Amino acid sequence: MSDPTPLYEARNVYKNYGSVAAVKDVSLTIHAGEIVGLVGDNGAGKSSLVKVLSGVYQPDAGQLIVDGVERHWKSPHDAMLAGVETLYQDSGLALDLTIGANVFLGREKMKPGILGRLGFLAQKEMDAEAAEDLERTGIAVHASKRTVGQLSGGQRQAVAIGRAVAWAQKVIILDEPTNHLGARQAGEVLAVMRAARERGLGVIFISHTLPHILEICDRIVVLRLGSVVRDAPTSTFTAESLLGTITGLHAE
Amino acid sequence: MSRAVSEVVSPSSNEGEPASWARRLVGNQQFMLFVVFVAIFAFFTFNDSVFASVSEIGNNITDFSTLVLLAVGETFVIATGGIDLSVGGTSGFAGVVGAIAMEHLAPHGEWVVLGVGTLVCLGVGIGIGLINAVLMHYARLVPFVATLVTMGAAEGMSLVLTGGAPVGSNFGAITLTEPKISVFSYPDIIIILITVVAGLYLHYSKFGRYTFAIGSNSFAVRAVGVNVRRHLTWVYVLSGALAGLTGMFIYMRLGSGAPSAGVGTELVAIAAVVIGGARLTGGSAQLSGTVLGAMILTIVSSGLIIMNVSPNFNQVAVAILIALAATFQALRKGSRADV
Ligand SMILES: Nc1ncnc2c1ncn2[C@@H]1O[C@H](COP(=O)(O)OP(=O)(O)O)[C@@H](O)[C@H]1O
Ligand SMILES: [Mg+2]
Repeated sequence: MSDPTPLYEARNVYKNYGSVAAVKDVSLTIHAGEIVGLVGDNGAGKSSLVKVLSGVYQPDAGQLIVDGVERHWKSPHDAMLAGVETLYQDSGLALDLTIGANVFLGREKMKPGILGRLGFLAQKEMDAEAAEDLERTGIAVHASKRTVGQLSGGQRQAVAIGRAVAWAQKVIILDEPTNHLGARQAGEVLAVMRAARERGLGVIFISHTLPHILEICDRIVVLRLGSVVRDAPTSTFTAESLLGTITGLHAE
Repeated sequence: MSRAVSEVVSPSSNEGEPASWARRLVGNQQFMLFVVFVAIFAFFTFNDSVFASVSEIGNNITDFSTLVLLAVGETFVIATGGIDLSVGGTSGFAGVVGAIAMEHLAPHGEWVVLGVGTLVCLGVGIGIGLINAVLMHYARLVPFVATLVTMGAAEGMSLVLTGGAPVGSNFGAITLTEPKISVFSYPDIIIILITVVAGLYLHYSKFGRYTFAIGSNSFAVRAVGVNVRRHLTWVYVLSGALAGLTGMFIYMRLGSGAPSAGVGTELVAIAAVVIGGARLTGGSAQLSGTVLGAMILTIVSSGLIIMNVSPNFNQVAVAILIALAATFQALRKGSRADV
């Protein structure tokens, strides 16, 4: 890739669950303005790798490097503070809170002056900013007073992605964000990812829907049984060769 | 690009229609509760005009004051998806410990007695709240079991300390619960102020936000870096502290520490929260609803007494109110699109 220093780099990362080696010697780079597809069969280790990258798990071996500096995440919050946002496979929204409250969850803005010091929230400001943030990522939110639980599945996913993209300073990791979505809504999620790329973010996109991967990714990393078996520009894959590489049924 | 997802999240459809504000009012649980309150009040007054007399309203306000702080604490707890069964036992135990302490302080004058007594009651409540948190976080008990344990312990300790009879008689304290400003006593006013501040914190502060968020999806809250355990500890400490203050109020009202004063009141407090529209699985509650629930429960029990209905029927009335409130909630939910 053209940029010499990746935004985020994993070097020779291992992750075991007891005797199960879920991630074996994986190296991966994500550059600014790049969408990297991460594909593999069920159990290939995609979610485990994501959880190492996002600070849910600490790797058993290997290095995580952000902007050329090695990092050791103690929690997902550490990674968030460093600009790495993750959308987990099961969405991390609080359904009883409003859209604005969810976008600012954990990063609330306080009222100015004494009221803020007493713990009161600047809700109007957050609602307005949340609407702006989501719009910037391609999502217009008009009804910020509605709770996320009142939205459809696709709308919820849009808010979750919008939140992650709005807060991501460097990298955004999306683990199967188009699962359970209809074709139109999935297309909208892809549009949000393109917008994130245009903003200069690095995007890691995990999906089983290979046409989506081929359509949107700049580069594809294929995992099989915990190891990277191919890491190459999307243009070097065809639908058949990608499927073959994932299943290991024909040589790449 | 900005068009892409723009239709996904659209404004609610029926805004601005002429009939919609009326429908919203009927769909508003607080408004409906208020209507129910007025109807019940009118019913009892129609039955016996004594019910609307100044002295009876004063009695009702005193009853309300012994209930509402327990219900306020319970609202925070239930909003997190927990339950606190220990608030009744805590109020009784705090009243007993406070009464014993105040008896020893008697030579120091009334204000020292009441000031230190209040702090002792608060301290007992905070202590039990902390024990609840320790039982949940370190002994890994669910809230129901943890607070069942402390409820039993507090009620038992009250009996052990007193031998079952009231302690620390101080009939001078009773005068403090008499009306001073209109139909309100000074403690009533303090309790109402605490309730208002608690409502502001539940609905407009970061503390309240995390309270609801934890009840809604504690994984999501933890993932954004909030210390969920610490927050829950504060919530149970708050509930305990309010129960301790209630113990002090009951002491003043009775003029002594009565060991069984709080027995069973946790269920009335939980009833007030449920009638107020809270969801027992957490994430959704309204402090104004809880207050209205406590008001309704208060006038129902005093109204039944005035109607010479056996006090034993009071529990049946509470049960019926809970059933009605829960049904109303279920019907309202059924009419919505989600879940
Ligand atoms: N929490 C866990 N404990 C034990 N084994 C796990 C755990 N999570 C995943 N695994 C195992 O690790 C391997 C990789 O799983 P995962 O990362 O979920 O793959 P993918 O997301 O690609 O489907 C699988 O063999 C799976 O059974
Ligand atoms: Mg997975």
